[in-house]
Amino acid sequence: MKLIIFEDALFDNFYPLTYMRPAFDLRCGGTTLREKIERAAGAAASALFVRDWMAAVTSAKNDAAVNDLSALSGDDEILLVNGRCLWLGDAKPPAGRDVVGKAADEIAYVSLTKETAAGIDASDFDSFLAAACEAAAPEEVPGLKMLAYPWNLIEENVEAIADDFKKLGKSGVEGTLAEGAYIWGPKDLVYVAPGAVIEPTAVIDTQDGPVIIEENVTVNPHTRIQGPAAIGRDTVLFGGKIREGTTIGPVCRVGGEVEESIIHGYSNKYHDGFLGHAYVCEWVNLGALTTNSDLKNDYGSVEVMFKGKLTDTGSTKVGAFIGDHTKTSIGTLINTGTMIGIMSNILGIAALLPKAVPSFTMFMQGMFFKAGPKKLIETARTAMNRRKVEMLPEEEELLGFLFELTKDERMAAVKKSRKEMMARKGLA
Amino acid sequence: MSNDIAARVKKVTAVLLNVDEAKIEDSSRFVEDLGAASIQSIELVAAFEEEFDIEMDEDEALAVKTVGDAVTFIAKTIEEQKG
Repeated sequence: MKLIIFEDALFDNFYPLTYMRPAFDLRCGGTTLREKIERAAGAAASALFVRDWMAAVTSAKNDAAVNDLSALSGDDEILLVNGRCLWLGDAKPPAGRDVVGKAADEIAYVSLTKETAAGIDASDFDSFLAAACEAAAPEEVPGLKMLAYPWNLIEENVEAIADDFKKLGKSGVEGTLAEGAYIWGPKDLVYVAPGAVIEPTAVIDTQDGPVIIEENVTVNPHTRIQGPAAIGRDTVLFGGKIREGTTIGPVCRVGGEVEESIIHGYSNKYHDGFLGHAYVCEWVNLGALTTNSDLKNDYGSVEVMFKGKLTDTGSTKVGAFIGDHTKTSIGTLINTGTMIGIMSNILGIAALLPKAVPSFTMFMQGMFFKAGPKKLIETARTAMNRRKVEMLPEEEELLGFLFELTKDERMAAVKKSRKEMMARKGLA
Repeated sequence: MSNDIAARVKKVTAVLLNVDEAKIEDSSRFVEDLGAASIQSIELVAAFEEEFDIEMDEDEALAVKTVGDAVTFIAKTIEEQKG
């Protein structure tokens, strides 16, 4: 069986999280959407289909073929899975049958026998997918959910962590639980991987759910990790309150308070400050006392800037969505339901940020300014080198593309700010 | 035109950096002589863009060191963007 994972046209619903990665590489629980799909299928993806401008960097980072139509041909059963699918539960893809697996009226996957697959014209991916859906019989699949918006990742994180723990199939302490460190709650609801060290006075609280701690994690004294939680490899926790529903990806440095949030990986929030109901992409640095709101004072539904319009999420708890390589200064205050683009440099102003911060901007003194992409990319490269990661040429090219892609939104904010600045200075 | 550009550059610089316009010369360095901090350098670029209705490459604009060089850079940008 050949597993093929694809992005559909809704990849841009997840901006800014999907500026630098395909939708199926988003994290929910302790693993990414793709890792869950591969686990359910029992196989690594042999091919990935992504939007055109994501192909080069996806190819550079993966062994699987990318946007290669020849993957649709051959003498195999084919399983085509929509990368927005959150594959939880015990459902397995069918074998030997032509099935459209549905999750609440959306197509989660199409499974084709080799005979049916061989009979479909494979000269275009969208046409192949449409024909495949026609050729197969629909079935509702329990446990599968189609994610549509960035806040869905947060909403599903608690269940996804618990599902990942169950499927991990391991529990107990294979690393080090120092004397004076405690597991409070069921001991079979924690897994501490080899090389991970839980230092004295740290507490792992499994009363409300499982805790996964991956390889070589260091948990400093006075850290409390409340399950469900998943902490990725090589991360260091600096005495913070890691509250329920939190995923911290690999190679992060995290302190302060984090609640029901996902930090994708390679990001820092060393110091005090609250992060709640948020998704933080890679290579982000949140300065000391950066704090976001995830609940309005009137407990009302939170609105976010979605595709240029203020849109009701229908949820009362929505924090912030912060794109790759963005930095905040000390004391930055982030409003409820804020979208922050990639490569932005935010200097806090003792007042709430605007609810939309465009990519590649400097925000200072309450105004937006253009930021030169060359210097930003050099800073990004330096940040990556500090963690012994090289910026790929394809990533640099993608950043250049994204600089142009995000130009209109940025220039609208910058031009408005310029006029305001000139007026403030008496130069208008 | 260059004289007009120079006069406007010096006026904007004087206001943003809170310096005496009469003391600004073509050879004046924004940072060393006029005291521009990094935030003010960014504001200066933005102000010049608004003043002259042009868009400058931020990396190149921030590399300009003197008032005279800024006048030259702005004049060149105006020529490129407005013909």
